[in-house]
Amino acid sequence: MKFKLALALVIASANTAAIAGQAEDQQVKFRQSAYSFAAWNCSKIKNQVVEHPETFNKDQVIAAANSIAAVANSGLGALYGPGTDQATGWKKSRLKPEFFDKHDEVVKVATAFNKEANELQKVAATGDIGAIKTQFGKLGETCKSCHDSFRVKDADAK
Amino acid sequence: MSIAIQVWDLPLRLFHWLLALAVLSAVITGEIGGALIDWHGRIGVLILGLLVFRLIWGFVGSAHARFTNFFPTPAKINAYLKGQWKGHGHNPLGALSVIALLGVLATLVGAGLFANDDIAFQGPLFSLVSKSVSDKLSSLHAFGFNVLAALLVLHIAAIVFYARVKKHNLVRPMLTGKKHVPKDQAIEVSNIGVHRLVLALAIAGVVAWGVSSGVQYLTPAKAAPSAVQSW
Repeated sequence: MKFKLALALVIASANTAAIAGQAEDQQVKFRQSAYSFAAWNCSKIKNQVVEHPETFNKDQVIAAANSIAAVANSGLGALYGPGTDQATGWKKSRLKPEFFDKHDEVVKVATAFNKEANELQKVAATGDIGAIKTQFGKLGETCKSCHDSFRVKDADAK
Repeated sequence: MSIAIQVWDLPLRLFHWLLALAVLSAVITGEIGGALIDWHGRIGVLILGLLVFRLIWGFVGSAHARFTNFFPTPAKINAYLKGQWKGHGHNPLGALSVIALLGVLATLVGAGLFANDDIAFQGPLFSLVSKSVSDKLSSLHAFGFNVLAALLVLHIAAIVFYARVKKHNLVRPMLTGKKHVPKDQAIEVSNIGVHRLVLALAIAGVVAWGVSSGVQYLTPAKAAPSAVQSW
């Protein structure tokens, strides 16, 4: 009897975990998609502003900067629910567990990303290649600061 | 009675100090990131060229530059630890350090060529592998840096140890090329013809250029920007 009860509890908790895991997996999937989309737009800016400025197309760069800002301002924090460091989206999350213990630092890097993305949107509208290039570098630094602090270095660690 | 002999040839000394400068610059630009990540990539290609040069120089350079001259066999290490080693170039323990440093740097450069930072940077050979392989190599690149840092600390600590404890200045010979040895141990080191230097530099240059720029001719599809749609 006791054994059956214990078994039932184990099965029930495993089920709950599976259902909870689904929501977390979904959050990871959304955020991986969001950053991938931002990265695509970053690559367009890098191509037209840094690598091949002779191909600079103001409208395309503005569209790309708008898209990055839209991602940054979309409220990505909602996709970092508890347990999402262990979840799997398109692939396993590389979020470090200590992300959830360092609230102030998280807010700092997240806010920095938003600020520089919004600034890039403004600078892109001017069409000044030199200024866009500088601001694009600043944006990249905010990406890196979060990767350095909160992303597991080893792509296969989890 | 001591006498000054030529221990490090000029190309080797230039290689050493250029490499030191390039590694320092790579560390700084890699740590800052942002727009400097592109410079990190360019410096990596320079380091590749320097390593290829050193590899060739290890076969055609002057005596003390050659791998056969200083390759650290267990017998040589044993003799050195007993105080019986009589050479003038890299001592067997130093040779271990040289080989480890060159090996780790080659690994870092090799991995870095295929790496990406998930922001807006890809190494020049990124398109030759899948994203997941690139991610693995990026991790290796990041991890390898810790190994390099440890070896560099050891490298500098050993130089300080030799200067302070053994009263043996290792830095000056790397600047002047000359080392003072007892007269009875002096050896004549013949000079190396300039044609070997030209050849080594040419090969190193072609490899570095080929990797950084030439590879685009292998993947023409990637080089051509895709057509922009109106929607």
